[in-house]
Amino acid sequence: MNLDRVLAIAKKNLRSLRRDRRTFAFIFMVPFMMMLIFGYTFGGEVENINVYVVNLDEGSPVGSLSWRIIDELNSTETLNIVHIYTSADASLDPVNLSIQKVRNAEVWGAIVFEKNFTKDALWSIASLASGHPFVSSNMTLHLDGTNPNVAKAVSGSLSGALQKILTTRFHLNAPVSIETDMVYGEDTKFIDFFAPGIMGLAGFLVTFMLTIVTFVRERSSSTLERLLTTPVKESEVVAGYAISFGLMALAQSTVILVTGVLLFNVQVEGSFLLALLVFFLLGVGSMGMGLMFSSIAKNELQAVQFVPMVFIPSILLAGIFWPLEAIPEFLRPISSFIPLTYAVDGARSIMIRGWGVDQIWVQIVILALFAIAMLFLSTLMLKRRK
Amino acid sequence: MQESGKRRVKRSEDYAITTENLRKEFDGLVAVDDLNLRVKKGILYGMIGPNGSGKTTTIKVLMGIQRPTRGTGSILGECIPVKDNIQKIGYMPQEMAVYYDLSIHENLELFAALYSVKKEEFQQREKVLLEMVDLVERKDDAVSKLSGGMRHRVSLACTLVHEPEVLFLDEPTVGVDPELRAGFWEYFGKLKDLGKTIIMTTHYMDEAVRCDVVGMMRAGRLIAEGAPDELLARTSTDNLEDAFLFYSREGKT
Repeated sequence: MNLDRVLAIAKKNLRSLRRDRRTFAFIFMVPFMMMLIFGYTFGGEVENINVYVVNLDEGSPVGSLSWRIIDELNSTETLNIVHIYTSADASLDPVNLSIQKVRNAEVWGAIVFEKNFTKDALWSIASLASGHPFVSSNMTLHLDGTNPNVAKAVSGSLSGALQKILTTRFHLNAPVSIETDMVYGEDTKFIDFFAPGIMGLAGFLVTFMLTIVTFVRERSSSTLERLLTTPVKESEVVAGYAISFGLMALAQSTVILVTGVLLFNVQVEGSFLLALLVFFLLGVGSMGMGLMFSSIAKNELQAVQFVPMVFIPSILLAGIFWPLEAIPEFLRPISSFIPLTYAVDGARSIMIRGWGVDQIWVQIVILALFAIAMLFLSTLMLKRRK
Repeated sequence: MQESGKRRVKRSEDYAITTENLRKEFDGLVAVDDLNLRVKKGILYGMIGPNGSGKTTTIKVLMGIQRPTRGTGSILGECIPVKDNIQKIGYMPQEMAVYYDLSIHENLELFAALYSVKKEEFQQREKVLLEMVDLVERKDDAVSKLSGGMRHRVSLACTLVHEPEVLFLDEPTVGVDPELRAGFWEYFGKLKDLGKTIIMTTHYMDEAVRCDVVGMMRAGRLIAEGAPDELLARTSTDNLEDAFLFYSREGKT
């Protein structure tokens, strides 16, 4: 293999991209926008969920438990209490009125405290202390469960508020508590979890598409034919492509990571360079894959049709947004055949767990093998063409 | 040529290109029909014939782009597909086959690098070639910004950048204006004087007259071959077009 010729091919690809401004913008803007959109939509917690509160609680001489809970709910950002009905509004039939609001999808939930809420609760607490049987006090949550995330946030914030009041005001602790020791990911936000996924996805997809389109063009304009009449070997063409598009994958990962760190404070516990190595290997592999697919396509349009075919399984089965454990058992073997799975898993371990080569060598080896296999197969494919 | 390798065939050293019963079929359709070609070194050989007569296919098979169905060929004594002599061969395809997103200079630099042309040598040659194709001023323009004729000239310059000994030019003068075509022919003459062999296909009969030897092709076969004067004398015609028609009719009867 002649290094000068390999570099000449790589240089040619990079120079072509530099002049093709639109493609150049596509390479860097797509991952940037992906990160921006995903970052802003998935990055934050669910907030300002509109709810109604109906507080019919008459309280007790020592105070009102329901109002304390409502105060606690008001102090967080999760719920936005649109209106509070009290017993003074009894003539309006506030319970049915607020349930109707939920039914009309004007609010996500209605929290109802019954007349004897505080009394019952205090009675229960006293009974608990004296060992008498008791029926626990109730508040009712009428909830629109259309969006599981919202539903989870409403019930979560309600039980959180209740728990807090019981602990601070009544020193009531649960008899058994779970002590969680976060081995990794102490302050991990959802965006930290999916940032490596987006990096991998963008690197994989754009490299794959770029190769497919460039190579189909190279074939249709007969430049490939011409290249292969020069002393350049098939393996050198493939290596040149691997270097240039591998570098593209690196540049993209960097754009995504810098965006993530600057705008969304994405955490990077381990070595950034090691994460880049993971994406470089993935980029080289997807380049080879693109090259192979390009041999099946007759024109650029046909080539682009492969993108969703590769995109959908990758986005769904590589553990980018959902953990692999959430995928039905029979689909899981497919995940192990998607190289993106290993790249995302490896990068996540580096960025969140702070792992090094000694812990993620398996992923690196798998990605390297994938890259080598793809390079080898695409070289063979080029040779066969001749 | 002197080595006794599997890839070597003993040929007269006078020939730059030979083919031996070379045949190429596409799905049963015969494009090149048992062609026996002998192109002497240092001459300008013109292949003429209508579309589909097998000119381009012959060149593609010789260049190793397509595999012959049967038969063989050699370039500078080496059996096709050529490996050892690849450095000495230049090929200009009929399609533009240059990179539109690269500048003229970048295209030339790429092909020079692929042929391992040294930097200083490249700088000198680039100057000469750009003058020849009259594109000195446009050197740094992207090929996509050039006209069709200009792109053709860039393609020719890319073929010549490594100073090959044997040149395969497939329709090199298509879309080139008459003035520049004259310039091209002058340059071809110079290359010939330097001992280079040129085999070219053309549609222009007035160009074919300038070749040392003309091979007339029809339906994948060589129907006549000789110096233009000779062909005219043999057919008692005064232009190659009529001579071609003469041989064409003769072949049919």
